Amino acid sequence: MAIKVLIVEDNPVARSFLCRVVRESFSDTIVITEAGDLETARRQVGVVDPLRAELSVDPFKLVLVDLELPDGNGMELLAELARYPATKIVTTLYSDDDHLFPALQCGADGYLLKEDRFEVLVEELQKIVRGQPPLSPAIARRLLSHFRQGPGGMGGLAEPGLAGTSGFQSSRPMPLGRGAPLDHERLTPRESEVLTYLSKGFTIKEIANLMGIKWFTVNDHIKSIYKKLNVSSRAEAAVLASKQGLV
Amino acid sequence: MDLRLRGAPSSPRNAADLASSSFSLGPDSSHLDSGLIDRSFGGDEPLSRWMGWRLRLLVVAALLGCVGVLLLARWLAESPYLDATWKAGAQGQLELVSSTDPLLTPHEGRALLGVIGGDNSMAVVDALTLRRSSRWLTDDIERERHRAMHEQLSTAMAQDTVKLFFSEGEMAEVSLPRRGLGSLGAMFWLLSGLALVLYLVAMVVVLARPTARNLLYALAALCQSGNLAFIAIESTMGLALPLPLPRWDMPVHMSLDLVTAAAVVHAAALHPRRIPGAGVVSWLSWISVTTLIVLIGNAELGGAWWWLQGSVTLFGLLAVALLTWSHRIEPHPFAIVMRRFGVLAVGTWVLLTLTLAASSGAPQVQQQIAAAGPTIWAVFLASLLLLLPFLSKSQQVMREFSLLAAISTVATALDLVFVAVFSFGQFASLTLALFLSLGLYSGARQWLLNQLRNQNVLTTERMFEKLYRIAREVEAHPERTPALLTQLLRELFEPMEAVVIDQRSPSTRVTGGGSTLIIPVPQLMNGEDGEASSIVIRFAHHGRRLFTTEDARLAERVVEQLRRAVAFDKAVEQGRSEERLRLAQDLHDDIGARLLTLMYKAQSPEMENYVRHTLQDLKTLTRGLAAPNHPLSHAAAEWKSDLTQRLTAAHISLGWNFSADRDISLTVVQWSALTRVMRELVNNVIAHSQARRVDIEFMLDGDRVDLTVTDNGVGRNPQAWAHGLGLGGVRKRVKQLGGEVDWREVPAGGICCRVCIRQLSERA
Repeated sequence: MAIKVLIVEDNPVARSFLCRVVRESFSDTIVITEAGDLETARRQVGVVDPLRAELSVDPFKLVLVDLELPDGNGMELLAELARYPATKIVTTLYSDDDHLFPALQCGADGYLLKEDRFEVLVEELQKIVRGQPPLSPAIARRLLSHFRQGPGGMGGLAEPGLAGTSGFQSSRPMPLGRGAPLDHERLTPRESEVLTYLSKGFTIKEIANLMGIKWFTVNDHIKSIYKKLNVSSRAEAAVLASKQGLV
Repeated sequence: MDLRLRGAPSSPRNAADLASSSFSLGPDSSHLDSGLIDRSFGGDEPLSRWMGWRLRLLVVAALLGCVGVLLLARWLAESPYLDATWKAGAQGQLELVSSTDPLLTPHEGRALLGVIGGDNSMAVVDALTLRRSSRWLTDDIERERHRAMHEQLSTAMAQDTVKLFFSEGEMAEVSLPRRGLGSLGAMFWLLSGLALVLYLVAMVVVLARPTARNLLYALAALCQSGNLAFIAIESTMGLALPLPLPRWDMPVHMSLDLVTAAAVVHAAALHPRRIPGAGVVSWLSWISVTTLIVLIGNAELGGAWWWLQGSVTLFGLLAVALLTWSHRIEPHPFAIVMRRFGVLAVGTWVLLTLTLAASSGAPQVQQQIAAAGPTIWAVFLASLLLLLPFLSKSQQVMREFSLLAAISTVATALDLVFVAVFSFGQFASLTLALFLSLGLYSGARQWLLNQLRNQNVLTTERMFEKLYRIAREVEAHPERTPALLTQLLRELFEPMEAVVIDQRSPSTRVTGGGSTLIIPVPQLMNGEDGEASSIVIRFAHHGRRLFTTEDARLAERVVEQLRRAVAFDKAVEQGRSEERLRLAQDLHDDIGARLLTLMYKAQSPEMENYVRHTLQDLKTLTRGLAAPNHPLSHAAAEWKSDLTQRLTAAHISLGWNFSADRDISLTVVQWSALTRVMRELVNNVIAHSQARRVDIEFMLDGDRVDLTVTDNGVGRNPQAWAHGLGLGGVRKRVKQLGGEVDWREVPAGGICCRVCIRQLSERA
């Protein structure tokens, strides 16, 4: 069965380049849908109401989203696809944490830097899909301060794209303000350690050596950190949404 | 930061002010214990509670004083008065100079021999009667004669008509009119006005805080007020003073002078700090004063005037000595000011005494000195006393006043000296003295003001410089604001103590009778809610000066200027960073997107690589623009992760060795230059060396940076390399940082590139 991939990118040259990268990365049959802006992407995904996003019969397995799009920011789409089961990857020219961190908060499973060489991109994409997302020192630092302050204290969420996203509901009681953080909002000591090493520029292999654990254990920690960031941010997004509903 | 006083065992009551008015702290210790601060912060509350009845009492006292002066004036105006001008003749006789009474005009130039009143009481008169006060007669016998003559005269003139016998057998019978309030003279009103003011100030001080020291101050002030009132009465004298006064003249003046002296000694023992043995000193002085008053009052001491002058001088010297001692124990600016006043007062007193004594051979001269000298001295002392409670309120007034007081004292002294020594006429000596002292005054004033101005210009210049430097530091470290501000105030006022306390004073104010200045620390960086704190500085100019309200205003202005400087710097910095950010965004978005397209469309891998590196350089540039500074540790982490990724993709292993003795903040230029140098070197290795391993060593030692990039590739003979864009770029960047770069062969194979920057901060 073919794997459905959605590529949201306004630059046609870059789009075809990314198509090549995707085709090169996977041996399966690939069906690529291209979208030049958010509007087209939304139509393709069929997201009108995020609650019924799951109703899509044959969902996309992989979504590549550019951040800078003609009709808005790619993060808006990411937020709308929060519960969409695809692997979501940000493709961007911006490698700094100011741009990438909010994207990760919005539920991205990883990021690719568009200026990287073809082979590097292929390798990185495969890693992300395998569950080995990248984590640069700058983003690790941001993550550390994010979890230290508690998610409520993070300014990165004040992105216009996300604040405007509403309609997301949850049956779970929401943590309001800066009370005791729930488990999913806290890092385990091991995760903190991994993050600290990452923020100092150590590679996964070096961290595994330093901590005396296996390479894939370190990777599991990184995945778990991604997930916690995602969940805590989603909770926060819900709080924001419910607040907006009250006004 | 905290400078303790030299050997100052804190006595529980030493900084209280003799002149403590409603602003003062009351008793406290010399150390900045919390008690002092609490009192100075919460001092207003009980004050308002007590204010009600105190104010009422003060109004009552003021009314009483005014009524007293008016009654006195009325009584004087009711007494019979012979409107005539007299002078002392050459043989000690009393000559009529002029009179408005037509009956007396024919006798002008004649000497008055005697007066017979309506009830046949008779008085024999001579020139001695012209002396207004027997207090300033140096000779006991003369004084007794003066008293008797004045009593006889007053008795004789108590009637409506008197017969005046002149020399050469002439006689005139005149009726004595009531003189009326108008003829009392300006001198009377001025002096009694001053007496009234002094009385009121004494009352204010006592009512504000009825402590022992304030009572002593009030006692001294009231005595001098009495002296002034008495002198005012004497100034209205025609031929003689009204009846009970001649008898009381000497005893009253003497007692007032002695009590003042004793009160001053007692106060000096207690203030500004209680000296050891203060009780003994004060008891001794009070006992000796009482003894002297009794003895002189009963005329049991020969040479009463000498006893009086001598003992007052001694008391004055004792007070000065006590103040000096007190200052040795604990340098309080008040002690210095009081001592200065004391020296002035005692000096003029001694001068007056000596002049009077020296002129005893010439009764006319002595009479003139005795008329003017004591009055001037009494006014001088009264002004000093008046000034005491307001010392810490205004520096300007004090400066002008002390200048004027000194000059007028000099003028008077010169006048007296000319009259006494050179036997000049009164007019000539007065003119000369006035001329000289005016010259002195203008010269001294100019000189003094010049000095002050010069000093001010210097400090202002320095202060502005400091202000702006501190503003920059405050921006970088907002938490250091109190320390920096304290340092600035320290240089401004040179206090002996400067402490930051965790309590917020509502305003900048002077407390402790001028010894202490409290300045609230402003919140210079908005959004920072730092702890509320205040700076307390004590003893300006190493304890030589009192703080005044002007100092408080100056401190306030300095703080305000600092706030403005910080706000201005912040606005400028914000504008610059916004501009940089906008520039960076534009560059990144527009040029970046085009370069990316160009890269995807590249014809050859070389071209693609070239564009990729350009794109990466552009990104480094824009990031440098967006973030003003980068901690070295963060930069190193990124370098490592970036290079690892690059080298891993090229299947080259990385040996990373980073050591820094401390974390520094790299400027944009340093960060981007180092980033690009490192990237360029690694790019070269990847592109040309075919190496399997690269070792990068980065060392920061003090201000020196050493960077070596060693590969184990096939590169040889680096001197022969064509200096393409890559190597040229490296050279350029290293030069930009003020360093050197060279490449050499590694014996085992490969190339080692060394970058050495000896002083990183030099080109920052």
